[in-house]
Amino acid sequence: MASHVVHLILYSAIVAAFFAVLTRRDRREQLRFGGLVFAGMAGGVLLLAYLMYPFPR
Amino acid sequence: MASTASPGKTATALVAGWLLPGAGHAVLGHARRGLVFFVLVMGSFGLGLAHDGRLALYSSREWLLSSMQVLANVGVGPADTIARMRVYGEPAYARKDGDPDPKQEARIETFRARWRSALSIYGTAYLWTAGLMNLLLLLDVWDLSRGRKD
Repeated sequence: MASHVVHLILYSAIVAAFFAVLTRRDRREQLRFGGLVFAGMAGGVLLLAYLMYPFPR
Repeated sequence: MASTASPGKTATALVAGWLLPGAGHAVLGHARRGLVFFVLVMGSFGLGLAHDGRLALYSSREWLLSSMQVLANVGVGPADTIARMRVYGEPAYARKDGDPDPKQEARIETFRARWRSALSIYGTAYLWTAGLMNLLLLLDVWDLSRGRKD
């Protein structure tokens, strides 16, 4: 599996779930915090990629 | 206020947590959370091995970086040793560049072959993440046993 996007989603999901369960006790809080971490990681990378798109290699 | 575990139970939880990710939480009575941690850490570790992740070897040329990499690998526990036996044919943790010993040459070649793999960059990130997550879990076990968390 060599897709950057698939690994971005998978890796962000693992890390987000880990920190959500590690730092929050309430189920709703875990979902909220995990969602935020996931969105921050996956969304941040996609935003950065989008911003870098105009620049030549 | 959260209760404090006895020194014996704390030590058992820490050792169990290193031997089997999540087991430290189970020893302290947080079995469900421990199971989730086990799935996440071992899932990341399995993905790392499946994607040709590099099992770091200590090298005196890059002693700081390579020792940090080995530490990140070792954090996952004995699963790392088993993986090294499968990959290198022995529990190898160091390499001696320039050593004419065929065993050392084979070890370095195996390491470089994984490095050359197009998937290695993903696999290595998963492996290091698994080890570092488990080290964080040990700190969490310590906090739980000291009554700082519940």
